[in-house]
Amino acid sequence: MHKILFLLFFISISAIAQKEMTPTEAVALKTKVKTRAEAISTVMSEFTQYKHLDFLSDDIVSQGKLAFKVPNLVKWEYTEPFAYSVLFKNETLFINDDGNKSNMDVGSNKIFKQLNQLITASIRGDMFDDNEFNIKYFKINDSSLVYFLPKDEQFSKFIKAFHLTFNANGDVIEVKMIEPSDDYTHIKFTDRVVNKTLSDAVFTE
Amino acid sequence: MFLLIGCASYPVQNGFEPKSDSPKKTSNPYFSNARKDYVYKAKIDAFNRSFGGIFIVKKLGAEHHRIAFTTEIGNTIFDFTFKGDDFRVNRILKDLDRKVLINILKRDFKALTQEHSPVKKNFVLNTENILQTDILSKKHYFYYNDEQLNKIVRVDRNKEKVEFTFTNIDNQFAKQIEIAHHNFKLHIALKAFK
Repeated sequence: MHKILFLLFFISISAIAQKEMTPTEAVALKTKVKTRAEAISTVMSEFTQYKHLDFLSDDIVSQGKLAFKVPNLVKWEYTEPFAYSVLFKNETLFINDDGNKSNMDVGSNKIFKQLNQLITASIRGDMFDDNEFNIKYFKINDSSLVYFLPKDEQFSKFIKAFHLTFNANGDVIEVKMIEPSDDYTHIKFTDRVVNKTLSDAVFTE
Repeated sequence: MFLLIGCASYPVQNGFEPKSDSPKKTSNPYFSNARKDYVYKAKIDAFNRSFGGIFIVKKLGAEHHRIAFTTEIGNTIFDFTFKGDDFRVNRILKDLDRKVLINILKRDFKALTQEHSPVKKNFVLNTENILQTDILSKKHYFYYNDEQLNKIVRVDRNKEKVEFTFTNIDNQFAKQIEIAHHNFKLHIALKAFK
């Protein structure tokens, strides 16, 4: 009984906290994020990743750094608890797994191609494509939460939904990728630095 | 001479001495703690391709393990359940959904996680105690040194097919594990997160 009350309490709290946006508010958010994204040439950020699997006692935590440079150079670098980086460059995915290098032709793999586009777009906060996603908008206090549900059937078997949280400035501060099983990866960005000169050397394989 | 060795049983080829008194069951403690999440960084070399990921094992009850493999960013590649004699594929990427591959992984992970199995024969070699058992109808040899399991070998038609090695062992937790196939190119190296 206590558990039920507890649950009801939290459901009602979250109902108050998370409220669907009006169409006008949604348009305002899109405009703000797009304007901000257009002014971005580079992004550097730290991130902490929480992999949630329902059957585990704790989330699996890893940390790293992200670098982005227009138009589409992206480097994810995990530093803890292992060394691993992925670089998206010229339609190719370059992997450095603790010194072991390999690459993959992204162009030939639709899933990776879409994943790359989504990562690029989500870093820039510019993924409001109604052709690709069913989009739902919510507000939580000063920040915004947007659900992106992939329309592509093949892709939705891989990732059911992306939930992006934007702060009041329109920057992406959290990304949650939800799998069809409802297990998810939750990435939180911190120490985000925008438009600082980033040399191409950061993006060498 | 070579023919004779070729036909000789695996224990004879390796100079094992039979031993009379033996424990009734093998013991593998490395995935036996239900309170622990076993999380490893994995490197898989398969058929001239190399890829990494996160390998996860969770004991959910007696003879009940869940085994999952995800990419570094967290997308699930496969997710299996072993419960008693049952095996279930909860999820596998479409590209990998091949019966042959699933059977290889099933055999490997069953041997990797099975805590106890009836002992058929017992041998000694120098300081090592070796227990022979059957897992999924294949002969397996469990190598113990000072009662610590450090190797499992799957043998088929007297030939070593797969070798599981456990190293960097800390209080019943194997921080490094390798699974090496000898008859085709598949090698899995696991390194514990912490």
